[in-house]
Amino acid sequence: MKPCITRRALLPAAAAALASCQKSPEPIPFAGTSPVAVLKAKNYQEDLVTHILTGIRLCGLQVKDKRVVLKPNLVEFDAATSINTDVALVAAALHAFRSLGAASVTIAEGPGHRRDTFGLADEAGYWKGVKDFEDNFVDLNRDDVSPIKNFAGQAQFFFPNTVLAADLIVSMPKMKTHHWAGATLSMKNFFGLVPGAIYGWPKNTLHQIGIPESIVALNRQFRRTFAIVDGIVGMEGNGPIQGTPKKAGVLVFGKDLVAVDATCCRIMGIDPAKIEYLNIAVDLGATNPAQIQQRGENAAAVRTNFQLFPDSTLRLA
Amino acid sequence: MPEGYLRPRLDALRRHQNPDGGWGYFPGKRSWLEPTAYALLALQSESGSPAWQKGWRLLRSWQRDDGAWQPNGHVPEAHWSTALAITLHCANNIHDAAFSKGVDWMLATSGAETRLFNRLFAMLDKSPTGHDLKLQGWPWRPNATAWIEPTAHTLVALKKAAKQVRNSELSRRIVLGEGMILGRRCSDGGWNYGAKAALGIELPSYPETTALALLGLQGSREVDLTAALRQAHHLWQDSRSRWSRAWLAISLRSFGSVLPEEPESQPPTHDLILTALEALATPEGGHRYFRPDGVAA
Repeated sequence: MKPCITRRALLPAAAAALASCQKSPEPIPFAGTSPVAVLKAKNYQEDLVTHILTGIRLCGLQVKDKRVVLKPNLVEFDAATSINTDVALVAAALHAFRSLGAASVTIAEGPGHRRDTFGLADEAGYWKGVKDFEDNFVDLNRDDVSPIKNFAGQAQFFFPNTVLAADLIVSMPKMKTHHWAGATLSMKNFFGLVPGAIYGWPKNTLHQIGIPESIVALNRQFRRTFAIVDGIVGMEGNGPIQGTPKKAGVLVFGKDLVAVDATCCRIMGIDPAKIEYLNIAVDLGATNPAQIQQRGENAAAVRTNFQLFPDSTLRLA
Repeated sequence: MPEGYLRPRLDALRRHQNPDGGWGYFPGKRSWLEPTAYALLALQSESGSPAWQKGWRLLRSWQRDDGAWQPNGHVPEAHWSTALAITLHCANNIHDAAFSKGVDWMLATSGAETRLFNRLFAMLDKSPTGHDLKLQGWPWRPNATAWIEPTAHTLVALKKAAKQVRNSELSRRIVLGEGMILGRRCSDGGWNYGAKAALGIELPSYPETTALALLGLQGSREVDLTAALRQAHHLWQDSRSRWSRAWLAISLRSFGSVLPEEPESQPPTHDLILTALEALATPEGGHRYFRPDGVAA
């Protein structure tokens, strides 16, 4: 009886099977150092433009002639809580980046649950708080798109042209706890770069890839970044939507978003080592305090423990 | 509804039609299926005009070989907005091969969570969603999980198509789809995107998805929608979002509710879907295109 599979056929198949069993190479941990600036800000009535200019200077960011996209966190219609990035901070950033000679400054966001992005921005005070808001804003959920190859294992993935054309994406999240990811900060804020017009509301494709994996993939894709974290009033408990406001009185700045998020975690009283997406972003930036050049305030001095969701596997550090 | 409200919206849609015949989400942007379908429905009374026909031909050209429609000319992927294309075919009484292939694609598509492997996997999940995974809804795109909005749009399309389609699968999927929507209803009586709770904490309904869920449930003989319609009416009264108010007006008027008219002084926005929805939401507008044949308001 002839064998069903010949050796000639079997060998390549076996080789392919072995290759598929091999782990992808371990990423090489980030070896450099990254500046992160922490500035105190008691409230949104302070001179936020000066704070932002100071944060940019302390981190050595070059802005001149760059096409800048400011990416706030707009999530829900609820003016009474601290879900969304405060409009005063966004308006101040618009002013600051323009004053530094940016070629263009656009505010852009693609909310994950709500389709009425402009209505959401209105409810969050953006129409009143940003002059000519409509002319300065792009709904990333419904922007024109272009394909990217090999994003997060997908052969082809589409992103908004506004962010693909940007020289600098400034992540402006709210400092919040997150019932799934532990914390939602500058890196997870990039979920809003994914266009709902293709991937839906919610952007379920990202959950299928895996939340930590998606966070890291987005930050691997978009590397020309800066972060301004709104920690003046953040959110604790059942974030990112149903939590309660938490005054932390800080703004956190940096070009290395991994370092920024690790610093924010320490300010929030969360051990960054327990945040899964930071653990798998080891090659993208610094989590080790020895590699983070602290500018402005010492993170330990402004630590304000955030309550985590009770079912969270995380515990305060 | 006074002419002063409807006419500027229809004028804006005519003015912002792209040279290829379609509409972008915003003026000057590429044509996409979603705004093109809503604009064509809003301008349905002009379906004999060359401009309307150009849009129709463009939309038809975006059908894929598998029967699904793609979201625009640049994204060659099957997409939920196939349901809008089918609804538009029904509004124009076109039940040709393209229509049949589109219906077949919808009947062959369901949320990934209802597949056997995923149902078994869900049994091991420490934080189950509480969803009945036998109830098949529709996803935004193939191989993703089902949500309220694509499920509601597909139910509208299938119910409108029902008289023309001899396929027992259609009736079965309508029952399952309605069950999926009912199973994801929030405790306040309405619907959000499709999760009534997260980690054991109840989530509130949204106005726009409540409106869409009700549209999807039109004609259901099994369900008393009185409380849901009352909730939709409350949401319409409370909501400042024009997007939400337009969908709620389309939905409530489809159920025969009499609503006050929107102020004539409110100009159209540069959001072309909203412009089309506001036109469709007027009493004499096209909300009837979202109503299945044979279902009284």
